Amino acid sequence: MKNSCLISLLILFPTFVFGELFLEITKGSEDPFKIAIIPFEGNSKTSNELNSVIQNDLVRTGEFSILDEELLLPIQIIDEELVYTDWKLLGMDYLVTGKIIKTDNSLDINYEIYDIHKKRKIRSSKVFGIPNQIRQLAHYTSDGIYESITGIKGIAATRLLYVNEIKDSKFISTYKLMLADSDGKNEKNLLTSSEPIISPSWSPDGKKVAYVSFETGIAKVFIQEISSGKREAVLSKDTQISSPSWSPDGKYLSLTLYQDGNAEIYILRLRDRTLTRMTKQYSIDTESSWSPKGNKILFTSGRSGSPQIYELDLRKLNPKAKRLSFEGTYNAKASYLPKEEGIIFVHRADDGLFHIALKYKKENFIRILTEAKMDESPSVAPNGNMVIYGIKEGDLSMLAGFSLSGARFKLPASSGEVREPAWSNFLR
Amino acid sequence: MKRSPNTLFALLTLLIFAGCSSLEITEEAVANQSVAGVSISSKSVATQAVLANAVVYFEYDKSNLTAKSIQALRGVSDLLQRNSKITLSIEGHADERGTREYNLALGQRRAESVANYLIANGINRNRLNVKSYGEERPLALGSNDSAWSKNRRVELK
Repeated sequence: MKNSCLISLLILFPTFVFGELFLEITKGSEDPFKIAIIPFEGNSKTSNELNSVIQNDLVRTGEFSILDEELLLPIQIIDEELVYTDWKLLGMDYLVTGKIIKTDNSLDINYEIYDIHKKRKIRSSKVFGIPNQIRQLAHYTSDGIYESITGIKGIAATRLLYVNEIKDSKFISTYKLMLADSDGKNEKNLLTSSEPIISPSWSPDGKKVAYVSFETGIAKVFIQEISSGKREAVLSKDTQISSPSWSPDGKYLSLTLYQDGNAEIYILRLRDRTLTRMTKQYSIDTESSWSPKGNKILFTSGRSGSPQIYELDLRKLNPKAKRLSFEGTYNAKASYLPKEEGIIFVHRADDGLFHIALKYKKENFIRILTEAKMDESPSVAPNGNMVIYGIKEGDLSMLAGFSLSGARFKLPASSGEVREPAWSNFLR
Repeated sequence: MKRSPNTLFALLTLLIFAGCSSLEITEEAVANQSVAGVSISSKSVATQAVLANAVVYFEYDKSNLTAKSIQALRGVSDLLQRNSKITLSIEGHADERGTREYNLALGQRRAESVANYLIANGINRNRLNVKSYGEERPLALGSNDSAWSKNRRVELK
């Protein structure tokens, strides 16, 4: 009784925090792994908090269904071996146990994962942390569990960038560039402006962000260090600059410059700020995005008469752009999946509505993955298994996500509109 | 750490807003208002009225001028020819459909179309400041044809 009160308090409390995002898991996958998590031994408040974050992380992937706490059995160990039979009868695939080790200035977690079918321990790990970073420790633990079971690296310990727009009673907007954990918690404000902010982009090491701010009256790209807040315009040119994308080695930014009277793609070498022009077309060329290996860029071009996705091979001298999208009259803002096996982009369907779509390299058709009206700005998680994007519900913009295994979630904000999500790389 | 620029932006916004809403301000008074060297508007009420009436609208995903918009721009072209001191800010906008960066580029093309018309009519490019807000500054709220058609525009200031 006492415990359940505590849990409901923990769940209710965040609703009073300004600007917080709320996680709503709307659908899981059809054949999830069944997993039992025994509350970790140690301080019960810490254990409850860990448990709730870990469960949320795992359920959000859509690949896990977690056994109700009330149905948990006591752990039986005979001759140093876990008794698997009961868990098998409960239909479980995996069991997780753990222990919290607290000293004056550290808080560590030991956890074990058991495969019920193979009847053996498949992981025994320790994560190290400090007492005020319980959520962080929980995310590390979730990622360990996810990786042991699925064989794919987890993304609970990654972070998101997004833009929050708040209108006052006179409809005057304030724009905020925000940073949060992958579950929308632990929000931090990186920049507040009375002018629009768009197109946030992570440096590959997760220490800096690039974005477009209209604070000088026109679109300009800025780079900002997250820890210090130190920021600078990437070029002192008097022209519009937008759509930054960081190369995987962190040495270059691809950008859209308007100095030719038209949107053209350039690559900026950050070391000495030298520019190389990549496109030369009378039409619009923008929304460049690097391949994970750094040898190609995707971009959107209007050269065929409607926005379509093209690819440039940077290893070639004077590369010719190769058109990748042929379905429909609007395909834009593409990014590669991490193994370059396909691209995720915005597609306008025959009904005139905008959806997020996927096209695998090997296939000659596209897969439409979302069904709202104005889906935009897809950003792929570093493990390639999840996509976060912007949706509109009524007149309100919010974030939503899906896993390629079929799970769906939403991240509405407590105030204002949220959009332009960008998923970080793995951060450890 | 970012307080002071923010305060300045807020102040600028407030002043710009105040400038826009009080239409009876005289030419001299307007010309004298400036913050940190940025002049807010040095245009006469008559000039502002011509510009306010010359909003140019566009078809979806298009940046070419229609016969109707060329008519509206004739007045602006005449005004600029009569008074060589007037410089113009040409701001392109897009409706909310489609991606933000593509819409920024589309807004720019629309603004360039208007600038090119004026240049073709003898106006020096140096007098024209061409920029785009993409879909970031809608005039009409709502997700319907009526709002979208009002938002696909170029404003002259």
